[in-house]
Amino acid sequence: MKLPRRQLLVDPPAASSSDIAFILIIFFLVCASVQPETGLAQTLPRTEEKKERKQQSKNLEVSITPSSIILNGSPLQLEEFRKRITTALQAKKRAEDKVVVVKSTATTHYDHWIRVSQAIARAGGTVTLELQSERTITVD
Amino acid sequence: MTASVPSFAMGDIGFLLLIFFVILARVQDDSHVQWDPAVLRDLEGAGSPLANVAIDSAYRTYLNGEELKNELLAPRLNAILGNAPVGQRNVFLKVHREAQAQHFEPVIQAIGEAGGDLVHILEPEPEQ
Repeated sequence: MKLPRRQLLVDPPAASSSDIAFILIIFFLVCASVQPETGLAQTLPRTEEKKERKQQSKNLEVSITPSSIILNGSPLQLEEFRKRITTALQAKKRAEDKVVVVKSTATTHYDHWIRVSQAIARAGGTVTLELQSERTITVD
Repeated sequence: MTASVPSFAMGDIGFLLLIFFVILARVQDDSHVQWDPAVLRDLEGAGSPLANVAIDSAYRTYLNGEELKNELLAPRLNAILGNAPVGQRNVFLKVHREAQAQHFEPVIQAIGEAGGDLVHILEPEPEQ
């Protein structure tokens, strides 16, 4: 009697392999696109044209040039600036006094500027920008 | 004997293609902007933005992928941010690392005027 034998080698169903490949593509695309971005949040005080002079005189002023950082008239490198700004801001008790006025030369690069901003933020300061504005004065 | 194309899978394929293009289509697509981020340590997750502002390697300013003059940035951002409460007005700022203060400071000022919560987008420094 001939016994019925099952076929041992069976071809896998090939009809769904394209669906599987497609789902894998979508899986990797979704994973690649949901990488969260990293950054540095910065609080911007509202810009005002007229400032109270008494208030302004209490705020620290930092000037950033392409090669150095000037705090209280002393040119510093980043590491020294971090220490000095931390010490200076620790002495300030009110939030208004912790506002640091930052002036940059026109050619200061962004990567240098952002490092200084981060140092000020870590020391507890709030960065506010002092921008140069153009005015037309008519002389008779 | 005839071989027919299995049509029952076409619906699935069409649906998957739809999901594929919906995921790829982003409203605030600024992937065409050419810029290199500055590198910094100890960064935080940036959350999700209401608007993306970028300054590319040619120092042009873009708002949500569209090139824009700096003078128009504050009113356009105001319109986008609307009445969103403080803390939910994230504006991502992507500045090319070589951009100079004359390029990015007016942009930062415009974001401040519009009342946006500024987030600088940076690259984390690789750990040594």
